[in-house]
Amino acid sequence: MSLSNLIQNWNSFRTRRPYEGQYDDAPYKWAMVIDLDSCIGCNACTVACYAENNLPVVGKERFGKGQAMHWIRIERYWGEGDTMTSEFPDHGAQYLPMLCQQCEAAPCEPVCPVGATHHSPDGLNTQVYNRCVGSRYCSANCPYKVRYFNWWNYPDRAWPNPLELQLNPDVTVRSKGVMEKCTFCMQRLRAGMDKAKTEGRILADGEVLTACAQACPTSAITFGNLADKKSKVARMWKNQQVDLAKDSQEKSEEGIRGYRILEELNTYPSIVYLERVRNLEA
Amino acid sequence: MTMSNLDRRDFLKVLGISGAAATLAGCGHTSIESGVEEVMSYVHPQDFVVPGIGVFYASTCAQCGSGCGIMGKVREGRVLKLEGNPESGISGGKICGLGQAGVQAHYNPDRLRTPMYKGEGGLTPVSWETAHQILEQRLGPNSPLKGEEIAFLTGGVSGHQRVLLENFLETFDSTHHVTYDALSTATGRAASKAILGAEQPLWNIHKARLILSFGNDFLGSGVSPVYMARQYALFRKAPRGTLIQIEPRMTLTGGNADRWYPIKPGTEGILALGIAHDLLQHEEFSRGVPQEILDLVKNYDRDAVSDITGIGSDAVRLIAAQLWNNTPSLVIAGPSVEGHSYGFSNAAAVQLLNVILGNRGQTMEGQAEHPFPQLTPTLGSYHALADLNQKMAAGKTQALLVYGTNPVFTAPSHLPFAESLSNVPFKVAFVTHMDETAGHCDLVLPLLSALEDFGTHVAEYQPDGVEVMLQQPLMEKLYPESKGYGDILLEILKKRKPEAYAAFPDYYSYLKTAMVKAKPVFKVSDSDDHFWEDALRNGLVKWDGKPTSLEARLPALTMPKPAELTTDYPFYFVPSIRPDMRDGRHAYLPWLQESPETMTTVVWDSWVEIHPKTAEAMQIKEGDILQIQSATGSVRAKAYLFPGIQPDTVSMPLGQGHTQLGRFATGVGVNPYKILDPIFDDHTGELAMHATRVALRKTGEHQVVVKDEGPTTFQNGQKLVATLSADQAKLSKEI
Repeated sequence: MSLSNLIQNWNSFRTRRPYEGQYDDAPYKWAMVIDLDSCIGCNACTVACYAENNLPVVGKERFGKGQAMHWIRIERYWGEGDTMTSEFPDHGAQYLPMLCQQCEAAPCEPVCPVGATHHSPDGLNTQVYNRCVGSRYCSANCPYKVRYFNWWNYPDRAWPNPLELQLNPDVTVRSKGVMEKCTFCMQRLRAGMDKAKTEGRILADGEVLTACAQACPTSAITFGNLADKKSKVARMWKNQQVDLAKDSQEKSEEGIRGYRILEELNTYPSIVYLERVRNLEA
Repeated sequence: MTMSNLDRRDFLKVLGISGAAATLAGCGHTSIESGVEEVMSYVHPQDFVVPGIGVFYASTCAQCGSGCGIMGKVREGRVLKLEGNPESGISGGKICGLGQAGVQAHYNPDRLRTPMYKGEGGLTPVSWETAHQILEQRLGPNSPLKGEEIAFLTGGVSGHQRVLLENFLETFDSTHHVTYDALSTATGRAASKAILGAEQPLWNIHKARLILSFGNDFLGSGVSPVYMARQYALFRKAPRGTLIQIEPRMTLTGGNADRWYPIKPGTEGILALGIAHDLLQHEEFSRGVPQEILDLVKNYDRDAVSDITGIGSDAVRLIAAQLWNNTPSLVIAGPSVEGHSYGFSNAAAVQLLNVILGNRGQTMEGQAEHPFPQLTPTLGSYHALADLNQKMAAGKTQALLVYGTNPVFTAPSHLPFAESLSNVPFKVAFVTHMDETAGHCDLVLPLLSALEDFGTHVAEYQPDGVEVMLQQPLMEKLYPESKGYGDILLEILKKRKPEAYAAFPDYYSYLKTAMVKAKPVFKVSDSDDHFWEDALRNGLVKWDGKPTSLEARLPALTMPKPAELTTDYPFYFVPSIRPDMRDGRHAYLPWLQESPETMTTVVWDSWVEIHPKTAEAMQIKEGDILQIQSATGSVRAKAYLFPGIQPDTVSMPLGQGHTQLGRFATGVGVNPYKILDPIFDDHTGELAMHATRVALRKTGEHQVVVKDEGPTTFQNGQKLVATLSADQAKLSKEI
């Protein structure tokens, strides 16, 4: 079953997705813009994610083994090449909030032998915990390294009483042996979409935010519905001349900041980053 | 309300609302029956309470003194998550990581759950009945204590918590409220007051075309980081402002700078005078500048300044030229400027630039006058603790109450606070967690968490008029044996001064009465109950104060040249303030321990930062255990190679090294406070925290540094974080 699944998935993703106008008739396609010129590296988003999504604190030893469970992390770089160009970081540090890019052609999806990771109709790369058998192929295949495996049974130890009272009842507490990742705060989206559906409408722009976007003190993270052409996120994508279904973007002029990370791998990420700006004359 | 023995002025003072601007109606009847509230059964919940649906309640974040309005998501009687409160002019609906972790302070497994009293076998649990008996015996109406025999030692405290505290002390004819802040900004505030007439001016960051920051980490650990971050976001929109940061060790804010300069610690004032020297060549700036300043600045030409500071003379010229070209600008100073024996002069020299550049009234204004001075925050200092310590050591202090501060942990080793405590016969700690200082006290009282208690808060930095922030419980208390700080004080006050306080069954009714009584100032025409309910629902009441104007004084300054490094202590030692740990009080929060410190990405540890070139010369590799030796003491920590540091400087983060603060803090890292040398600011007497010098010794031991960054800290040609030159960006065309 697993091999046929794998091949089937692979084919479907490599041949069918993404394509122009894919979400034209869909009510939702969730996407993000992260402005690296506004991001100050403060970690408000990362802590918000721990609070919202029941992420376990793993402790020093396991963190040291690379077992941290931060669905969003701030990466910090000192240069664009492979060395520093001067003795000091003259133009500051380079902060990068890195989370699941919710790729349209996600490398993690076709390699799952059990279909635990798959694409949702609203364009999310989802992880079905009770299907996951812990092969970890998805993590190995993820170029962004944003999938996190439960090497331990964290419910046993990560929330000593009464810390467990803080756990979000809308989010599963994952047990040993399953993979997990950023969901774009699926529980918030689900609740919002259900409510809107009951009221016979679609969600308004900004009605539901991910925890990271809501917390961000500089509003560097814009989250929204790309299928709604009037949403801020859709207008930003258009303004930044990034097309979801293209793997290289043609810009009409210089100085347009939007880009997708590792786009050349044909992953078609749902997150557009805006280049950090620096006054290099200063 | 019993008013017979209490005149009106006293009554307003009891409620914390006396003051110049408080023109209040007389004491008529109010519709409040204090403490009598409608009790609703959960079986008949209010309409908005639906099982499975979270409801947001407004409150105020108590994790730092910024006074951010927050909202707690409450579901089935539990608070689950905190968000910013959009009603709050300070937080504007945003929240930082430290604020988020407030829920972990509340649900922390190491919360103190019962009162503790020191017997022969150390601190042991006692009942509240016993605790009250002890309190009454020592501090009740028959207590013989007077004046300075009693002291109340706190961290920064504001609102009615401060009012009750000071009213409590007044019943002993005492004003001995000692506010200690291990990260005191008293020197910088004094310098700002001397030059601009205001300790903490308002900074219109978003209006500045250029910000020149000397070591002020305003985005991370400054006076109001969430508000500043929001303003910074506007500052970076078109027309994008430029940030230049000058500091010995790159802070979070420094990492965001357009241009970052490493400076020799303690030479910031000289650089500022060098920039002033360049500016004052132009008549536009030199007009009206007193001769003393012109004379002072004369000695600081670019080359002289460059020699002392390590900042090239071209850079001095460039910075001055940019200040010239980009008006209005904003020049600010931070801890690395203040922390020297001449820190006051250093900071004053930096502020001088604002006067020369004419930034007053443009990017800098005075804060609005507070209508209720009794509610304003007390701001801590080091010398307040040192004075208290002297009195304690001399046996003058008979009773000490401690709240919101942990000097046994944060005081340097040359201030033997723990030892002095043993001279005080009766010491009470008000804590949520057993900490190092509480461990030395006789009676330790378990407080409600900030998410369980009532309170009012007034922030030091009031960006928009004046807000009195309300803190309300977001859930029932977790531990029946914990009590509110206000309730405990009120209970003692009721015994000491029944005529003023007997009418208040609890702190809640006291607060409500006080706020409702203050209503006329807030120009609200609602009924009292509506006013109170609105205040709770919004989490704040606003007073429409207008910014005041700043003065410009140009006092004569002397700027000493820092002594050269010696062979015994060849490195400057710079302690860094982590935006999440602050003075170390938050080290018990696991989210923060596991949150990588942004600049280094290290978790769960202490480390010593050293420039790669220095490390290479000394053959030090990452993870080598170094002994960091000052004249005062030494600590051992792992080396971390860090390019954002001046090469003759090493830096360690503050906040770790607890011996007693619960399972998540104890035994993690080391405490650099203990190696700070006894060097003090000449003007303010504050501890000069950046003036210590150290030697490094390799121990031959090595441990892996646990951190989030991978083997490379470079992008290796991949487009991960791309950088665009500001002149090419088309921000004005963006959405």
